[in-house]
Parts: sequence; structure tokens; C-alpha cells
Amino acid sequence: MSGLARDGPAIETRQLYRRFDSRKGFLFREMTRTEALKGVDLVVERGAIFGLLGPNGAGKTTLTKILSTLLLPTSGTALVLGHDVTRETDWLRPRMGLVLGGERGLYNRISGRENLRYFADLYGVPIAGRDARIREVLERVGLTDAADRRVEEYSRGMKQKLHIARGILHRPEILFLDEPTIGLDPKSARETRKLIRSLVTDGVTIFLTTHYMFEAEELCPRLAILSKGRIVARDTVDALRALVGGDRTLEAEAYGFDDREVDAVRALPGVSKVVTEEFGPMMRLTLRVRTGELTLDQVRGRLPGHAELAVRERRTSLEDVYLDLVEEEAR
Amino acid sequence: MEAFEASRRRSTSASLRLALLQFVADPQWLIPSMIAPVIFGLVSFELFRGYGPYFLTYAILGAGMMSMWGQTLYGSGWATGQDRVFGTLEPTMQAPTPYLYVVLGRVIWNVLSGLLGGLIVYVVVVGAAGGPPALPDPVAFVVLFLFVMLTLAAVGVVFAAFYVYTRYAGFIQNIGEFAFYVGTGCMFPVVLLPFWTNPIALFFPPTWALDALRYASIPGYVGFSWGFWPDLAGAVATTAAYLALAGSIFHRVERHVLEVGNLADY
Repeated sequence: MSGLARDGPAIETRQLYRRFDSRKGFLFREMTRTEALKGVDLVVERGAIFGLLGPNGAGKTTLTKILSTLLLPTSGTALVLGHDVTRETDWLRPRMGLVLGGERGLYNRISGRENLRYFADLYGVPIAGRDARIREVLERVGLTDAADRRVEEYSRGMKQKLHIARGILHRPEILFLDEPTIGLDPKSARETRKLIRSLVTDGVTIFLTTHYMFEAEELCPRLAILSKGRIVARDTVDALRALVGGDRTLEAEAYGFDDREVDAVRALPGVSKVVTEEFGPMMRLTLRVRTGELTLDQVRGRLPGHAELAVRERRTSLEDVYLDLVEEEAR
Repeated sequence: MEAFEASRRRSTSASLRLALLQFVADPQWLIPSMIAPVIFGLVSFELFRGYGPYFLTYAILGAGMMSMWGQTLYGSGWATGQDRVFGTLEPTMQAPTPYLYVVLGRVIWNVLSGLLGGLIVYVVVVGAAGGPPALPDPVAFVVLFLFVMLTLAAVGVVFAAFYVYTRYAGFIQNIGEFAFYVGTGCMFPVVLLPFWTNPIALFFPPTWALDALRYASIPGYVGFSWGFWPDLAGAVATTAAYLALAGSIFHRVERHVLEVGNLADY
């Protein structure tokens, strides 16, 4: 038994490491080794939505599967609700829901209601209240009218709702959502996000992975950024903004800036970071600004001689934070 | 917050119900479960026609086994393979009940549908011959026939574990299916096969059970020459061994797939 407290965080991992070994070839076997997680330390508090952001291949699904008892770590410790995910699966599984989503993962030839009934039985939802509970979750995800249609007739968005319905059917204390809106049209994605937000009011802890910045920003008070198997940052969105150099972002665009001009902008008061980008014949300087003192005119003053110069200000987005941190990790 | 308590028996019955729903939902199942037994019955009748006074019993047993073989023995494994294809293996394995109890539900369904196939074969062969076979003890025949189904189911449970273990289980099954079918004496008595195959066949419960069934239903039958009771004892022992092994094998296989992380592969 681990020494970590059982009434503590919803999730706590220490130096979680996962390696995949795969072999290919028949006569000449070649082994490929992939390090999916390289020592992940993570703490997720109970009763909120925690977001795990990361690019494709960062290790998000691997981490989700380890935490939801579908995969064993190569080394390290992972506790969910204070219980070890490798040794206490009997205690954990009835208390956790998992939504992997996608087109697969459902019995397509039978109805949505029958899918839920099957999983309700596997999870031991009491028979006396089973059908009522199925009706309740179908209502909640907005599938009541389609409940008795075969799943193969469902749209992608409806299947996603059914996945979520299955995930919450047994009233889990913690719900893992792996990229819940991927591949959905904007309307379905918005409905899904609304549904996810509503689940937190039931006291469920939600661990959500996504690579949509706006989704994480909209849903997750706290989040972590995973890149190449490592957590590169973990905090509130505002704190992450501060981490990458400030709440304000100024952008200056023109047909090329020379190094002297870039240095001049970098020397402006409050500028913590300058990123240069080229797109076609244009060039963009992106400035992270710590203080509120710097004005657009001060930036224009450092970039004279550009008749077509455009300078604007916007709030530093989570995408800015994400790109800064992931790029920094890649370097 | 108190979690719901999952029940193994309820999981098995849910799995049995799901198998029935999928059967009803998919008309292709009519072919192996209802149409194939008719063909097997007619072919077997022609094959054994004129082969002694008990040819009808041979024909019924041969075709009946052919029909039940795929349904009972491989059906459960195949359903697990389908779980991989559908992507339902991961959510099912993540449920609180051990996957073995889900497989058991499918095995029960496959036994029932295998019995239906056996019944169709009986009706077809009897119809073709114009009368029922001469059975010394019809009750013993039925009881032993059901016991053969149980031995097939026991092997089927163990086979299903391979489908959890690897996505390549289907290939292995395809390679081994015919050899196993012939080798365990389903169509012809094992003693008619090359001697070197006999020791291998003894590791499989259906070999023993079928030999016992032939002893009980065909006067003058000479199988392994050990007689009915040793055959029956062998069948009970090997079936018990398979059922005992099943729990341990599934536990190990579940641990293995969590280590390897291949549950989503198909």
C-alpha cells in the first residue's frame, strides 16, 4: 500500500514511465522502442475538470489508459482516488468512467439503449433502478429520441454522446475523457462541451485530454501540458500565461524586419519574449508583454520606415502558451 | 460515494443476452446455425450410407459435430476477436467484472445455438433415412451428446483467451481448425487416424467424450479399446482440467495485455 493519502488528490502520479516495445519483420526481427511517458509527475485535485493538453503522440492517451487501469506503467506510481492503479483495480474500476470516444467502442448492430443496458449490467447498476438510470443518462446526453435506433445509424456526434452516457452510467467518482470532441462538427462539439461542464456539478472529477486550446481554456480551470512524454507546465491558464512571459501579446506585421529592428523591439520595457515568424512575403513579430505600460505606439516607434506596418494587441491565448512551451521543449 | 457492486453471474447473463441480441440483429448467423447443419446432415448421410447397420448414428454424430464445432468451440473466441474489431474489448475489460465471465455468457449462447444445429442435423438425417437410428439407450445418447457440448465449451473458453492475448488468434485458429476437428475424432473415430496423432488427441476433452458417446450408442464399437467408463473418466478429468485452467489463463492473459498494451489492436 502506498503512503499517499486516500482522501487526497483525485490523481497523483510519481515518475510515471511507460515504454512500448514493438517488433516488426518476419525473418529479420527488428525491435522498435518508444518512450511514451518519461517520468510524469502530476497532481489533480478532486471535483473539477483537469485538462491535459498535448500534441499528437505526446502520450495523452497512454497516460489516460494507465490511470484508467487499461495499461500498466513500465515504472513509477499512479494513484487514482488514493488507490494504486496497478494493484487495486477491483476497488477502482467501479468508481471510474472512461470515454475513449470515436467511431469504435460500441456494439453497432444493437440500439443505444441495449448498449447501455449491457454495460449497466457489467458495472452492477442495481436492477431495480437500471432502466430509470438508462433513461436518465439518455435524457442527459440528448439521445432519448434515438435510444432505440441501432448505433450504426447514429452520427459521429451521437456516438460520442453514447460513449459519454456509458461513461457516467454507473455514477463514477472520476471520469476520463480522451479527446471527447475530436472529429465532431462545431455544433456537436459545443453540445459535448456543455455536457462535460454539467457533469462537474454532480461532483465528478473529470480528467480531459485534448489538443484543442480553446476547449481546454473554456473547460479547464487547471491544466497540464504534455510534450514528448513529459509534463512541461502545470497550472491555471492565467498562471501559464505568466509563465510564458505575460498576459498581453502584441503583434507587428510588415514585409520583413531586420535583426536590428527585432533587437530594438526586444529592448522595449516589459517585453519578455519576441517570436519571429514568416508567412509568405510577410513577417510577424509576436511580443509577450509583462506589464501594461507598453503601448502600440512605442512598438511602432521602434519599427520606422514600414508604410504597411500593422500593430495590434490581443490577450495571450492558451495556444500561445502551448506553442511556446511545446516549442521550447522541442528545442 | 459507494460504488455499485458488480456481479459475475449478472455479467454472464448480460453477455448471453448480448449474444442473443447480436444474433437476432444479424441475418448472416442463419447460415452457420441453420442452413449449414442441413448441408452437413445431407453430406454426412451420403458419406456414411451403407457403412454397416449403425451408419445413421455415425452420420448424425459426424454431421452434428461438424455443425456444433464452429458454433461452440470457436464461436466464443471469434466473439472476443469481434470485440477487438468493434473496439469494445477495452471498455469491457475496464468494467469491474473479470472478462472470463463475459466469455462464459457467450459460451452458453454458443452451446445453445450448437444444440440447435445438432437438432437440425438429427432431423435432416432421420428425414433422409426415413426413420430414426437404432440407439441402444436414447437417454444416454442425449445426455452424452450434451456432455460432448460441455467438453467443446471448456476448450472454447481456453481458446477465447488467445483472442484476448493477440489479434492474430484468428489466423492460428484457421490453421488449426481442420486438424483439430479431424484429430479429435469428430468425423471419424480417432483409431482410424495415424497412430502418432492419438497421444496428441488425448489432451483434448472432446476426443474422450466422443469416444464415450460412440461406445454408448454404437454396439460393437471399438475406439481406444479402453471401453466406455475409462473414456468417460478421461473426458471428465480433461474437461475439469480445462475449466480449472481457464481462470488462471484468463488472469495471466489480462495481465499480459495490460503490460503490452495491445487491447485496441485489431
